[in-house]
Amino acid sequence: MNPQDLIGPSSPLGNPAPFWFITFFKVLGFILHMIPMNVWYAGMALVAIYATFGKGHYEELAHRLAKSMPVIVAIGVNLGIVPLLFTQVSYYQFYYPAGVLIGWAWFSVIILLVIAYYGVYVYTLSVRRNVKTRLAIISAWVSSILFIVIGFLFANNFSLMTNVAGWIGIFNKTAVGGAPTGLALNTSDPTLIPRWLMMFGIAIMTTSVYIVVDAAYFRKRETTEEYRSWAGKFAFVIFNIGLVWFVATGSWYIFGALDPFTVGKLKSDGLMQVIFAATALSPGLSWLALLLGGRRHVNHRTALAAAGAQFVVISLNAVSRQWVQNTEISKYRDIAAEPVKIQWSPMILFLVLFVVGLAIVGWMISKIVEVGREEAKV
Amino acid sequence: MHYPWWYVHSLTSPMLIALVATLHIFASLYAVGGGLFLAEEVGYAYKVGNKDLLTYLHSHTFFFILLTVVYGAITGVGIWWTIGLASPLATESLIHIFVFGWAMEYVFFVLEVVSAFIFFYYWGKLKPEVHTKIGWIYGISAYMSLVLITAITSFQLDIGTWTPGQSMWIAFFNPQTFPQIIARSGASLLLASLYVYLHAAFKLKNNKQLLALVETRAARWSMAGAVLVTIGGVWWLLNLPESAKASLAGASALIILTALIFAATVVVFLMLYFGSYRRPGWVNQGFAILYFIVGIAATSTGEFIREGVRKPYIIYNFVTGNNVLVSEIPKLQQTGYLNGGTWTRAFMKAHYPQVVDSSGNVDSPKLLSLPESDQLAVGRVLFQYHCNDCHSAEGFSAVAELTRGWSEDMIQTVVTHLDKAHFFMPPWCGTKEESIVLSRYLASISFHSPAGMKFSSAPPGNSKDMTASSGRREP
Repeated sequence: MNPQDLIGPSSPLGNPAPFWFITFFKVLGFILHMIPMNVWYAGMALVAIYATFGKGHYEELAHRLAKSMPVIVAIGVNLGIVPLLFTQVSYYQFYYPAGVLIGWAWFSVIILLVIAYYGVYVYTLSVRRNVKTRLAIISAWVSSILFIVIGFLFANNFSLMTNVAGWIGIFNKTAVGGAPTGLALNTSDPTLIPRWLMMFGIAIMTTSVYIVVDAAYFRKRETTEEYRSWAGKFAFVIFNIGLVWFVATGSWYIFGALDPFTVGKLKSDGLMQVIFAATALSPGLSWLALLLGGRRHVNHRTALAAAGAQFVVISLNAVSRQWVQNTEISKYRDIAAEPVKIQWSPMILFLVLFVVGLAIVGWMISKIVEVGREEAKV
Repeated sequence: MHYPWWYVHSLTSPMLIALVATLHIFASLYAVGGGLFLAEEVGYAYKVGNKDLLTYLHSHTFFFILLTVVYGAITGVGIWWTIGLASPLATESLIHIFVFGWAMEYVFFVLEVVSAFIFFYYWGKLKPEVHTKIGWIYGISAYMSLVLITAITSFQLDIGTWTPGQSMWIAFFNPQTFPQIIARSGASLLLASLYVYLHAAFKLKNNKQLLALVETRAARWSMAGAVLVTIGGVWWLLNLPESAKASLAGASALIILTALIFAATVVVFLMLYFGSYRRPGWVNQGFAILYFIVGIAATSTGEFIREGVRKPYIIYNFVTGNNVLVSEIPKLQQTGYLNGGTWTRAFMKAHYPQVVDSSGNVDSPKLLSLPESDQLAVGRVLFQYHCNDCHSAEGFSAVAELTRGWSEDMIQTVVTHLDKAHFFMPPWCGTKEESIVLSRYLASISFHSPAGMKFSSAPPGNSKDMTASSGRREP
């Protein structure tokens, strides 16, 4: 089979918005999704570990993370819809076949996510009720493991999307009467494992920044100076683990797994080389902020600096990933050249609603900030 | 046909959509009706200063969040996930038509999640008027999600005057939009009340006075819901496209189910009015469970009918049930289904190069020169891509059963006149030679007529001569 033969025709309907618009919202959505997703991805593992073995501040950390986790998961899942939506607009010829080829694994994400999310609630409820049951601890472990498994399944689908040559092997192995059974994974793809592990490295770093932000900002009355001081130091240690992990798996991905075509394109693109270098070096900013914060008590300024720096890390990562995805797909199709039939009035209404929605969210947040201030006065 | 077909043994992959959608609808309708109920009732409780009612509503909100924000939200995403796997071409089309509709729904979804958590976690901390406003932000956002999604799904049943290239709004305001929005609004209010009864019957079992108050107030919502379901349902029925009306008329089971839903709605309204509303005290745990089961059964039946009458389309007059663009059918009939499908064409090139010409096209007449076993194998490919969307070989809606006792000629006659034999089936989308190899494959898996009957096609000696479990004919 020739990989080119497996890519379906363009939609007769055309893209409803220019390629740059779709890419912008896809990347923006992915950045916004990555923040909470990172926190549950690595954070739930910390919850499970310290719920089981932690004492003192370690246990307190597990409790604090767990209390926020239901909201973090809900918002993260929600924010994940945008990149998925825009992926289906421009990348449908690649996204759907990849999903079908690993159909059962991809379908199982929904079931695993429901179980993982209820597991989070079981543990959180036990924390809120101050009862540490075996069921609660098991639930924390189950959730943590399932989140990591879901990450693996996502890495499978999104690596398979651009690995069109890999479609043939899976198809030949699983097809019944020319139709794949969906009982496969993209395990022969050399980018799969480093890609999956690299995200976990970023997740560890983001979670450590979240720990600092939580200690500095959220419900300050609930934490002591001692905890804040400990949290800063602990976050710095965890961040370093994440950093080493990120550097190791990122190097594996770039230098050991990325296909020569993409590497060649990178070598001939000066701007992308700068962005890639910035992506690799940007965790240094967060590291510096945490280092300075860890020496003293965690305060608003250092937490804000660390959060801002980590936002840059995540954003650069998302931009680099998008470039790699587009480059890998460009071997088969120029998706930027798809016909466009702009839906002006729905697009404008969406943008207006987007702004109004942000304003309403801002208003609601201002109300809970007021509550926080009033509680602090009391 | 532009994508690989996901083969799910015995069930067919689109049945997974039905499964996930049914499981989702129970929570999603409650997410809308329950949100409006909570906003209104919290405002009422603040206004009259009823602290017991507020305490109850707080506990109900937790139950509500556990069910709607977790299970409801994820299964909602799950529908999207599943339609992409089981109906990729239709999903691709819907996404291209309605991407900004979905993007708008996403904005409302964000508002729902943020407001739901603030509404619950800041209970008793926010000023009453702010708390109530946040409740309404949730309720209105959830309702807007219902409006947007219902417009998209109603478009699938009737595209109205929309043609490719036209504005999303023409597709959005199709003839089915308002009837379905009204019916679903009613169902959301009705179902939400049944959830309230279920929760309150257990939570307030020792506080009969409060239970009676909740019962009376929830009855107002469910009675309004019953009225809306009836109005929306009748309007839906009158506004159905001719094919959907014919589907209903031709399927006695669907008519009976439709009549039962209308009858059940009227009965529920009367029971609520004369019972819970006028003389509260009816709701106990057993009654609430029974009510709830009836509500769930009616809702899922309604959704089943709504989906059932759409045949033979996934998107009316645009994408057929077997994931073929209607506009492509004439060409497929001329040049062949195997040629038109991206994956079928690649498969034939790789596995049967002897029937592929120098430009890479499948030469249909050559299919008949293949050895019989290869013809059966190609027939199976055609079955997977042309038929497996609705029919399994031997499981759900099995063709082996549907062709029981048929000769190969009979099968081929039906295959080549699919839409004439059954108007709710898509037309045959291939060449004559392709219909022959498909029919050979179908004949090889079809069952005999049941043994022992006069004029049966079962071989003499009946069951002993048939495949042990199925009565399948040997090819």
